[in-house]
Amino acid sequence: MVRGAREVLMRVRPKFDSRICAAALLLVLAGCGGAKVARRVDVHPLPPDTLTMRMHEPGEYGGRFVVGATASPKHFNPIMASERPTNDVCNLLYTSLTDVDYGTLEDTPLFAKSWEWSADACTLTFHLRRGACFSDGHPMSSTDVQFSFDVAMDDSLGTSMSEGLSITDPRTGERARFAYSAPDSYTFRVVTVRPYAMLLSATSTVRILPRHVLERVWRAGGFASAYGVDTPPESLVTSGPWVLREFRADEKVVLGPNPWWFGVDARGRRLPYLDELVFVLAKDQDVAALKFQAGELDGLDNVRPEDYAAYAAGQAKGRYTLYDGGPSFNTSFLWFNLNPAPEGSANHRAGEPMVGAVKYAWFSQRDFRRAVSKAIDREALIRGPFRGEGVKNWSTMSPGNKRWYDPAITGLDFDPEGAKALLAGLGWKDTNGDGFLEDRDGRTIAFTMHTNSDNTMRKEMLTLVRDDLAKVGLRVDAAPLEFNTLTSHMRGDLDYDAILLGQGSAVPAEPGMGQNTWRSSGLLHYWHIRQEKPATPEEARVDALMDRIVYTTDEAARKAAWRELMGIVNDQCWIVWLPTQIIRLPVRSRFGNVQPSPMPHRILWNVDRIFVKPGRG
Amino acid sequence: MTDARGGPAPVPQSPARRAWSALRANRVGTVAATVLVVLYACAALAPFLAPYGEGEMDRVRFFHPPTPVRWDGRVDVTRPTAAGVNRYEAVPGASAPVRWFVRGAPYRLLGVIPADRHLFGVDAPARLYLFGADSMGRDVFSRLLYGAQVSLTVGLVGILISFTLGLVLGGVAGYLGGWVDTLVMRGAELFLSVPALYLVVALRAAFPAHLSSRQVYVAIVVVLAFVGWASLARVVRGMVLSLRRAEYVLAAEALGMSRARVLVRHILPNTASFVIVAATVAVPGYILGEVFLSFLGMGVQEPAASWGNMLGAARSVSVLRDHPWLLFAPGAAIFVTVMTFHVFGDALRDALDPRQGPGGRA
Amino acid sequence: MRTFVLRRLLEAVPVLFGVSALTFLLLQLAPGNFLDAFLENPSVSQAQLAQMSRNFGLDRPWYVQYALYVKNVVLHLDFGQSFSYHQPVFTVLRRGMGNTLLLALAGACVTWGLALPFGLLAAARRGTWVDRTLSLGSFALLSLPEVLSGLLLLLFAWRTGWFPIGGMHDLDHDRMAFVPRVLDTLHHLVLPALVVGLVPLASRMRQMRASVLDVLRLDWVTTARAKGLPERDVLVRHVLPNALNPLITLFGFTLGSLLSGSFVAETVFAWPGLGSLTLEAIQRQDQYLVMGAVLMASALLVAGNLVADLLLALADPRVRHD
Repeated sequence: MVRGAREVLMRVRPKFDSRICAAALLLVLAGCGGAKVARRVDVHPLPPDTLTMRMHEPGEYGGRFVVGATASPKHFNPIMASERPTNDVCNLLYTSLTDVDYGTLEDTPLFAKSWEWSADACTLTFHLRRGACFSDGHPMSSTDVQFSFDVAMDDSLGTSMSEGLSITDPRTGERARFAYSAPDSYTFRVVTVRPYAMLLSATSTVRILPRHVLERVWRAGGFASAYGVDTPPESLVTSGPWVLREFRADEKVVLGPNPWWFGVDARGRRLPYLDELVFVLAKDQDVAALKFQAGELDGLDNVRPEDYAAYAAGQAKGRYTLYDGGPSFNTSFLWFNLNPAPEGSANHRAGEPMVGAVKYAWFSQRDFRRAVSKAIDREALIRGPFRGEGVKNWSTMSPGNKRWYDPAITGLDFDPEGAKALLAGLGWKDTNGDGFLEDRDGRTIAFTMHTNSDNTMRKEMLTLVRDDLAKVGLRVDAAPLEFNTLTSHMRGDLDYDAILLGQGSAVPAEPGMGQNTWRSSGLLHYWHIRQEKPATPEEARVDALMDRIVYTTDEAARKAAWRELMGIVNDQCWIVWLPTQIIRLPVRSRFGNVQPSPMPHRILWNVDRIFVKPGRG
Repeated sequence: MTDARGGPAPVPQSPARRAWSALRANRVGTVAATVLVVLYACAALAPFLAPYGEGEMDRVRFFHPPTPVRWDGRVDVTRPTAAGVNRYEAVPGASAPVRWFVRGAPYRLLGVIPADRHLFGVDAPARLYLFGADSMGRDVFSRLLYGAQVSLTVGLVGILISFTLGLVLGGVAGYLGGWVDTLVMRGAELFLSVPALYLVVALRAAFPAHLSSRQVYVAIVVVLAFVGWASLARVVRGMVLSLRRAEYVLAAEALGMSRARVLVRHILPNTASFVIVAATVAVPGYILGEVFLSFLGMGVQEPAASWGNMLGAARSVSVLRDHPWLLFAPGAAIFVTVMTFHVFGDALRDALDPRQGPGGRA
Repeated sequence: MRTFVLRRLLEAVPVLFGVSALTFLLLQLAPGNFLDAFLENPSVSQAQLAQMSRNFGLDRPWYVQYALYVKNVVLHLDFGQSFSYHQPVFTVLRRGMGNTLLLALAGACVTWGLALPFGLLAAARRGTWVDRTLSLGSFALLSLPEVLSGLLLLLFAWRTGWFPIGGMHDLDHDRMAFVPRVLDTLHHLVLPALVVGLVPLASRMRQMRASVLDVLRLDWVTTARAKGLPERDVLVRHVLPNALNPLITLFGFTLGSLLSGSFVAETVFAWPGLGSLTLEAIQRQDQYLVMGAVLMASALLVAGNLVADLLLALADPRVRHD
């Protein structure tokens, strides 16, 4: 009853903006055996072009959904957002032209009700939704989209999406920005210099901002700090399904439904269903877990595998469901440093291998890397660091990726005898009887391997891998480093032997997003970054395949190119793959339409459709 | 107090002797001292006392619970069950005796003597887990012993550095005065003005990256010691300032003793009782400092063991629920050690400063 | 008195200046910089990194950066912007500061509230089992790593349901009336304040005990006893006020360390204070945010020492600051 009383309290509380909120939250109190049920009445007329969202079952209005968050948003400016917690909230507050349906991984319309490609596949025309409005009731049109693109491409802001809004011009080899225009209020057009498979996803990274509010700020040079943590919540004008209600830094973010949102359910009722979506900050996983167990939280979107068993056991008692999200899109792997020293390197002449001639002679042997892959007992990794909640994985498109996972892509799995045979084939023997191999010149095969020290699971993986490699005669010094230090070695001075790390999934999770990783010129081409021209014929082939993946729009051809590309990578073992985690997430059973995705934003991607099941509030 | 008055010719006792007998008379202090000696002996002989090596894994038994030694001195052989991941059951009828001086992983005792005998152990396939196994099937008991080498010495080496710095700088500043005094004291003030916590974290972050776990250990000691010297220097300076006008100091100077000699021979020894007590009480600070750095992920790194990183890795509700031994073993070790140091320091203070003693008030 | 305060404040300026230089130097010594976090992001290009580096001024040598920083502070009282919040440093720090002070003060209340009576008791019963139990008990509290005691208390809160699990406010805090609101915050405050307060308890208790013992030796106490005053009256009316004098200075020092004493408790109990904010800033190398936090903590430390001296002067008329 306390809960019911609280919810009533919550609704009758006077609102900041009487025009929007008092109307939107008109109360209908129905007395029913003492329990009071409040129902929201939608006051604003629906736009002509509503968007019917895909969902399991239509729901009812009302209720509050409280989620645990691991970090607080730093501001509410989607264009300046560069890290997850800020992005997570901004994606709910602001809409974009299109998005990827996390359930099917297919493109789906948002502010654009439809889109069409020109015959040469270089022009993409969006037809915008009529009658859509910002949260202050101001109409949304193509000028707002244009404004958002202007800001996103503003060089002086250095936004994180601007790089994605350009492609390499095949004629000049330079980066060429997308051209865009708004022929009329409900049409928006983007033109590229060549067909580009990723165009739709690139444009979807630009969230739509209210020009009528922010253009002045932008012109005055104050855009970067606009919509910061100090902004009064009610003054934030949003374009997405939610508005900001309350914000207490490092404590909670409260979102409420945007009364002008154009998304509806199958019965034509405006979404979102919930009255409130609350993020409660619980940095510490233990605090989050206990808060959930105590009923203070309704769902968690980040749970450690070691907690799965306890969550599974407590389902009936705690009246929640542990949803299986499938294998994560985040991958883990290790690699060896094959980088040559860059110009101006401190201890090396330019072009010399960073690891020195001796280690380079080891690391550059394909059979050495293959032996390492065969030496790793992935099942033990799954039982240990993953607590049994992992699967083997051999590419960035993990088995959880319904659209892009390809079972034909595999790598070299645990085979210690095979590993020893490969190493013996290199002429390496244990000549001094210390248990470790020596190369032909009598040098013990020994190297250092780093990982980031803030990640317990990776540290455990590193310790196990070290033990595995020792068993086939390779001596590894395990040295976890702070994350910043690690990345500055990885990308900056290139001073390391080997690193065990992971990669988060890009959104959308598709091979074309991996250009930075697979292209020889990429900054994330871990083993040998930013090559001016491909160092090996295999890498040249990979570059060509990447071109096909990115610049072809035919799906079958792209899939074939991806399979060949990963075939080369796994044959070379530039990257030695490690298992990936299975995602499980607990959410109270009273909520309907919960459909967790293994991608980040796991339980929240369809939160506008989540509702409280009748009679269970 | 010792009573020399009853004797025919009262023999004047040196302060050190007096303190020693006072300490011996303090029962709690004696117990604490004994515990400390045992702890340090365990750390020194860790490879011999530990049945397994520091990083020795058992791939079959991750998270194995502690194995009880039966009344007949045998332990059960266990195997994984189908009941769940990392669950174990006893193999019916299979057990192995705990034997003394068994052969095991080779090591160097005290860093020099090569050996492969361990005080006790069991034959494979049985495995002796007195305090259970961790997430990689490593014996927690063995790692606790190896971790003691880190955790117990962090304090000793740390106070060695910080007290040398504090004594020398504080002594010199107090004795010489003038611009040396100003310089040193402003420096100390600077260090005291930055909250220790931020200083530790920032200093630790400033260390170069390519550190092996031994070097990380040194880095931690240096960081913690660096933070600790300033307050000591200030107190020592104050004491030296008052001692400098003492008659015997003036006499020594009048006799033409060099200033360095006066400082070292006559002034600093008089701060000894304060310094010894302060040092004993400072050791736990270093042990807990290492725990704190491990809590932030900046402590001694895997695969090397320290009590801090064992506690840090086990600091979660799921461990407490499913594998409590992982948390309680290092937790208890830290607790007992820190407590013992405090109790010992307390007894030492009473012994060295009779005025403050519990019953020794005239 | 006024000149004393003024002089002390003036003396604080070079100290704070030195602190800022030391902090800046340490931040520069740490490998990498704020932009490293973006290196992990597959969609950030080299050109953008260069642009951001220019925007944040990270492309200049560190001494130029520092000189600019000092210039801005001195001329405009501008302590710089946080890189990750795109906001002035003190806008970001302000919100955490009040919360941290609240927790630290509550912790201090726990410490002193327990240290004074128990210290008095230990002194009055010195050498008995009461004395020994109290000192062992306080050592035990001191010896439990905060990391562990925090975890155990969290678990306690969950098992019993008597206390909220972490955080500072109930979800509906803002909808409560004034009194329930205060009660709500206090309810959240209890466990973290215990963790913060129990650590320094042992040393405060020992100081209290020693101080009481010192007073007990004085002649007039004997006189008071000889007059036939009950022991309780002697202790509470006569001994206690005199024993408190030396502790007043200590209380001032406590003020100075308020900002940094509650770090672990904040992390374990998800308390929205400065500690986690600063740690994150250090780890991300959000340099001006770190500078701001350290300067603020140092300023408080200096102020605490000053307050300690003033309190002493107020309490003990013999001490004069002219």
